[in-house]
Amino acid sequence: MSQGASEPRSTDRGSWRLVAARDFSVRFRDKGFLISTAITITVLTVFILLRAFGGESAPSFELGLTGNDAATILATVNELDEGAERRGIDLTTGFWDGEAAAEEAVRSGRLDAVLAEDGTLLGESSVPSQLTQLVLEAVARVRIAGALGEAGVPTGEVDALLDRPAIEVRTLVPVDPARDANAGIAFIAVLLAYGQLFGYGVWVATGVIEEKASRVVEILLSAIRPRQLLAGKIAGIGLLGVVQLVSIAAYAIVLSVATGALELPGVAVGIAFVVLAWFTMGFAFFAGLFAVSGSLVARTEELQNAMVPINLIIFVSFFISIGALESPDSTLSVAASVLPFSSALAMPVRIALGSATTAQIVLSIVLLVGGTAALVPLSARLYAGAVLKTGSRVKLRDAWRSARLTDGTTGSR
Amino acid sequence: MLELTGLRRTYGDLVALDDVSFTAPAGHIVGFVGPNGAGKTTAMRIALGVLTPDAGQVRWRGEPVDARVRRRFGYMPEERGLYPRMRVLDQLVYLARLHGVGRTDARRRALETLEVLGVAERAGDRVEALSLGNQQRVQLAAALVHEPELLVLDEPFSGLDPVGVDVLSAVLRRQATNHGVPVVFSSHQLDLVERLCDAVVLIDHGRIVAKGTIDELRARRQRRLFLVQVRGSARGWHDSIPGVDLAETTDDGDVLELADDVDEQRVLDLARSSGDVVRFGPVRPTLAELFREVVSA
Repeated sequence: MSQGASEPRSTDRGSWRLVAARDFSVRFRDKGFLISTAITITVLTVFILLRAFGGESAPSFELGLTGNDAATILATVNELDEGAERRGIDLTTGFWDGEAAAEEAVRSGRLDAVLAEDGTLLGESSVPSQLTQLVLEAVARVRIAGALGEAGVPTGEVDALLDRPAIEVRTLVPVDPARDANAGIAFIAVLLAYGQLFGYGVWVATGVIEEKASRVVEILLSAIRPRQLLAGKIAGIGLLGVVQLVSIAAYAIVLSVATGALELPGVAVGIAFVVLAWFTMGFAFFAGLFAVSGSLVARTEELQNAMVPINLIIFVSFFISIGALESPDSTLSVAASVLPFSSALAMPVRIALGSATTAQIVLSIVLLVGGTAALVPLSARLYAGAVLKTGSRVKLRDAWRSARLTDGTTGSR
Repeated sequence: MLELTGLRRTYGDLVALDDVSFTAPAGHIVGFVGPNGAGKTTAMRIALGVLTPDAGQVRWRGEPVDARVRRRFGYMPEERGLYPRMRVLDQLVYLARLHGVGRTDARRRALETLEVLGVAERAGDRVEALSLGNQQRVQLAAALVHEPELLVLDEPFSGLDPVGVDVLSAVLRRQATNHGVPVVFSSHQLDLVERLCDAVVLIDHGRIVAKGTIDELRARRQRRLFLVQVRGSARGWHDSIPGVDLAETTDDGDVLELADDVDEQRVLDLARSSGDVVRFGPVRPTLAELFREVVSA
């Protein structure tokens, strides 16, 4: 914005940038913006740190063994160690001399359970099921190996027999091993995008009301056209939304990588990019409607009612998107990801889960951008017709009618 | 020169403006006068393009007004409005820039305008922190900051203290005389309009009922009124003169209305013959009186 220093520009084209700059900077310095950013950052930090250092780490157990048959115990411990390694379980075993001492250790919590020679697995009030499975398998293998050995089967064959997996799990549809992780990232991203879409949409509406209620809009509209004012407001607030979303996403990804909560940052960056792109398009789609609902009312208190239809659409599309995390290929999910009313939230989910086809993605973009292009003149006209009618709630029909010609030139051609 | 021709605007069944035409020549101050609800604000909003007429034209220097021309106009709406939480200087710079002024010039002009209107020391304050009078001055600054080619001010004097009235009067005079800017403003303070304006436009029920200089309005009025005070005469000395009616009795004498064909010299003779004539002269009606006559007619 480095236009001429002294000569006034003769047209108002480009004055939307002045409006955008004001709306951006005023809100950037707004306490509400700083607070909401801080809260989002805090929640994300807690979430990522929990993921990095919390519950997701490998389970670990302490198991005691008692008995007199050293060979069996040794064989069992071997099988236990191998089984634990296969399952990614962190197992510590120890031999306890005397059941009483081992029992005491269980009671005091030093041991998770004690395996006695007779096959009793003793826990305090229960034994973790993963540990039970592990012990069950190890004991069974020791017994089978013993029985086969006695029957004269050579040791090598016994090992080969036991080590061959009994079953192999396959699925008809190939499953991306990272799908759960992607779904987790997509969930957070959609949650953020939903909050962003709604929050910044409301900001557009309240911004319109502020200008209407303070009557400053009449001065503004004596200088520039309603369309310029509307475009500037949406661009300024939308840009702030994008900036905030990018900063938050960047922070979350960097923190996740640094703490090891995320193994594949490339995927997260890809998902963040997709969410950002659809947020931007979705915001453009809805912002005009938010502006119209703001222009219809006289005070902020009345806004809630005027926004009900838009709120409902965004809310429903948010829930469909959450559902799409579970079933991205259902008819509902596919339809929602293509239609412009819901694609802003639903399509990123399906892309993240790898379920969207190229054709669907292209269609989604075409409909969302095309829908926005169709909606802009409509919103601009309603906005122009309503924003100067101060005093009471404006009916849509009246706004439409009174805007006949209001965009710019006085009926003087 | 600003020309409004044949403006018509309806709100549903209500006719707010009906064939409204008047002009504001360069360097003239035009007072726009009429009772509440007469259509002043509607006409001004149309002149500024904030509102669209159903019919009629707004022309500036002979050309139809479009958005490009309009942003060189200065406007003070009836409904005052600024961003309450924005600082005075920032606000004026922003508004100047919306009117197409460059960044550095906008700042300089904003400071100058605040200086002229006597609120320069409040430049860093939020608008909501100002007194109503000072808010009003900032509002005027908003109309002036981009050095407009035309000024349209809706009730600019309401809410100003006597000093503020003087400051604004001087500013408007200077704009008109030094910069050749046509100034159109509405007001109910008719003495002020009479003192300040080169021309007056009277509107009532959406129709222009009179326009011209105040002298022209006086000359054009239908009624011939004479104030006559005769000492020592019997009451009702004039009752028998054909074509002469008593319009009003005041402390300074009787106001007589003369029919068109009555020679005032003959009335003077009759007055003299009935007693000592202390006063005899045409009544120079104030704008307020003209206003009442026209509006109630």
